[in-house]
Amino acid sequence: MQRSTALSLYVHVPWCESKCPYCDFNSHALRGKLPERAYVDALLIDLDQHLPEVGHRPVNSIFMGGGTPSLLSPSAVATVLSGIRARLSWAPDIEVTLEANPSSSETHKFGAYRDAGVTRLSLGVQSFQDAQLARLGRIHTRQDALEAAQAARDSGFDNCNLDLMFGLPGQRIEHAIDDIETAIALRPTHLSCYQLTIEPHTPFHSQAPELPPDDDVWCMHRAIQLRLQQSGYAQYEVSAYAKDRRRSRHNMNYWRFGDYLGLGAGAHSKISYADRAIRFWKDKHPNDYLNHVATERRIAGRREVRGRELIFEFMLNALRLRDGFELPLFQRRTGQSIGRIIDMLDELKTAGLLYVDGSRINTTDRGYRFLDDVVERFLPSTSP
Amino acid sequence: MVVHDLQRIRNVAIIAHVDHGKSTLADRFIQRCGGLSAREMSAQVLDSMDLERERGITIKAQSVSLSYKSAGGIEYQLNFIDTPGHVDFSYEVSRSLTACDGAILVVDASQGVEAQTVANCHTAVDLGLELLPVINKIDLPAADPQRVTAEIENIIGIDCSHAVFCSAKTGQGIDEVLEAIVKYMPSPVGNRRESLKALILDSWFDNYLGTVSLLRLFDGRLKARDRITMIASGRNYVVEQIGIFTPKRTKVTELRAGEVGYLIAGVKDVKGARVGDTVTSTDSPTTAPLEGFREISPRVFAGLFLVNSGEYESFREALERLSLNDASLHYEPETSEALGYGFRCGFLGMLHMEIIQERLEREYGIELITTAPTVAYEVVTMSGRRCMIDRPSQLPAPSEIKQVREPIVETRMLMPHEYVGTVITMCINKRGMQRDIRYLGRQVMLIFDLPLIEVVLDFFDKLKSVSRGYASLDFEFKEFRPADMCKLDFMINGDKVDSLSILIHRQQAQFRGRELVKRMRDLIPRQMFDVAVQAAVGSRIVARETIRAMRKNVTAKCYGGDVSRKRKLLEKQKKGKQKMKKIGSVEIPQEAFMAVLRVEAK
Repeated sequence: MQRSTALSLYVHVPWCESKCPYCDFNSHALRGKLPERAYVDALLIDLDQHLPEVGHRPVNSIFMGGGTPSLLSPSAVATVLSGIRARLSWAPDIEVTLEANPSSSETHKFGAYRDAGVTRLSLGVQSFQDAQLARLGRIHTRQDALEAAQAARDSGFDNCNLDLMFGLPGQRIEHAIDDIETAIALRPTHLSCYQLTIEPHTPFHSQAPELPPDDDVWCMHRAIQLRLQQSGYAQYEVSAYAKDRRRSRHNMNYWRFGDYLGLGAGAHSKISYADRAIRFWKDKHPNDYLNHVATERRIAGRREVRGRELIFEFMLNALRLRDGFELPLFQRRTGQSIGRIIDMLDELKTAGLLYVDGSRINTTDRGYRFLDDVVERFLPSTSP
Repeated sequence: MVVHDLQRIRNVAIIAHVDHGKSTLADRFIQRCGGLSAREMSAQVLDSMDLERERGITIKAQSVSLSYKSAGGIEYQLNFIDTPGHVDFSYEVSRSLTACDGAILVVDASQGVEAQTVANCHTAVDLGLELLPVINKIDLPAADPQRVTAEIENIIGIDCSHAVFCSAKTGQGIDEVLEAIVKYMPSPVGNRRESLKALILDSWFDNYLGTVSLLRLFDGRLKARDRITMIASGRNYVVEQIGIFTPKRTKVTELRAGEVGYLIAGVKDVKGARVGDTVTSTDSPTTAPLEGFREISPRVFAGLFLVNSGEYESFREALERLSLNDASLHYEPETSEALGYGFRCGFLGMLHMEIIQERLEREYGIELITTAPTVAYEVVTMSGRRCMIDRPSQLPAPSEIKQVREPIVETRMLMPHEYVGTVITMCINKRGMQRDIRYLGRQVMLIFDLPLIEVVLDFFDKLKSVSRGYASLDFEFKEFRPADMCKLDFMINGDKVDSLSILIHRQQAQFRGRELVKRMRDLIPRQMFDVAVQAAVGSRIVARETIRAMRKNVTAKCYGGDVSRKRKLLEKQKKGKQKMKKIGSVEIPQEAFMAVLRVEAK
């Protein structure tokens, strides 16, 4: 039913100069030279095999994430983007985001990325405290970050995101406030402020650093929200704030449970059909991916989602948006009637966690704070 | 083969403290007298239950009848009766001793005398038994038999001129022990022409034979097909089989006065053949039943609950089977909103409780949660009625209570000098009243009246720890004494949780309330709202803690592409909630309940 609707593309670049101890994304510390040519070719070969399925759908957004996509040269990025453009039609106002490290070795490439077709930069600043950056394993400094933000502006990027984290090891409330104020002063269009989450299988998990107490983290969170609001940044998702409605179109597609095709090692895709969605993901390791890319073997796993599962995934994503979703979207994305979950909606409404009116469903302030408890209610009772 | 001449019979009890080598010594006797072939000798045959063997203690009295040819070439029938070595089973001990004419007192040559041994020896002396001290483990490097002999004379006050030194482990001195038994122990007296009079020392349930009872015959004779009556229970049976343990169960045609043997008479469960009851002939009953039969009532109570509620039926069956063999185990169904379905069980003491618990878990594979032990209180109502209560819910309304009386035990503790001060302080903190202090050579005997509840909770462990393991303990029930007991209730956000209420001395209510409320605060996870945990006596709040509401519960980063991890997280969260019990709208993990209900971990 969504076969002619827009599609997002996610392009994964699975290398970093070094691994950060909190990161659980599919990234591999770079040893030796990055196989840029082979990888760029592989991405397009990967895409070619999906064309029979999605070739007619216009591309609304492209997100090059990682890893560290800015390890790719501007010409490699240009090859990828023009390759995509040759194969799929682009929406007129397409958003093309590239994640970049705010380190001096990369800032000088920003202008060339823009020429290659990138419309939006996302800078992984994380913090403006040098000691904190060192603890997080980041390879840039406060000064690098300040310069990178300026360089982005100078290179003509009028749409730029800064990634910040809070609730960091040893962080005090005033540090977090300083970070957000420094970020606001750089006037980005978008800010992502994530509370540090200790993920399994990361060095921070096996050797847990001392994190600030819950109440302090809560204060940081409130202070960040307040300052951003005062400075004209509207929170539209749990961790995302945008000025002048310049939300991340790519991420909005995730939250609104749209379809996306993932290219590159470990990239995830979701493609919808009338009453179900298919999720599949590519080989995680760069070498396996490169070896298997020309065949179906590049697909490491596949899962069909339907019924209650589909509803759960929809709610999991859509309720992360501050405004929730309009009722017709539910029907459109899940192919099911909202009546199936009316009991839970009523219960959550009674508990003061959810607003349900004739046209829209979204969380109350309280429900937004306890979103995990809200979403848990939609978890199907038996696993598939 | 077997001699029946009264002059050539010796009925001998073995008294020893745990670990002093009683069972090994018995094994030596069996070996020496050829009771079992070498192949049949597994270590410590007298302790037949696995659990007994593991813990090295005797729970049930056991006996063995051996043929011994003395140095003078005369055949004797030696009946050894093993006595339970723990305070919980002191009634069984006194019954076993009644059946004997003499006792050997086994004392570890390095450890010396301990409180339990003293108590059992005094019982033996009171019953008029001849005592033969046997100093065991003389092969140990730390052995000091002379000192231990002097200690026996000092503390127990018995003549040690005939004391024998031996090592059950190496076999050294075993012959001397056996010779001393036939030489110094008296032979039984009894009239075989009189009506049957026999004492039940022990009864146990065998899956194939039904109830098997161990008897000592004082008068008369016993044969298969005799009609018999249990005097205390008034029940009649027909003898199916009699015999002796050599230690193998061996049928005989007749048991005569003076002898020890077993009886099988189609008794359904052990309650039909209670320890201490007198067996007599139905047709010509004895006119003088043996004295001292007591209905033993449980002193310590605890709730046993299932970890998996699905096992309720097998739990009930297991308790039924255990009680076939254990007249002192009481149980009745109990439901707790916190812990689900279970049984309220009554035990003789802490060891008895632990043993039952372990047998249920090990032999029947039932996983249990055991609540903190309590004792039975006597309540006198305004109308003058007396009743026993063993749980807070049975307590009448405060306006109806005239008095609550708690069980007091007389406690005897034996320890080296240097620990006396600390032990006295500890006893006073436990609401103890000092009765006596006796200096007995290197050791000191302290006698205190203590509330039983204080003794059953953690007294023994504390005593051992303040005395570096040197102090030993014995106690017996003394009386019910008025005590200012009250009910301590717990409330979660104002909802009283009945299953958490405890009976406690008023003096301790506030302290304990504070302590438990704090522990619960630490164990109850933060919720979406503030949670108040309170402890109250009547309408008076004695302690309060607040669990501040969680500020938020939302995963910051959710990588839109891959939802599987987020899903796992939520599933874990959901599972965690399902394990909790809901009191009002508050989710409480079982550990928080257990913090109140279980004995504190020390």
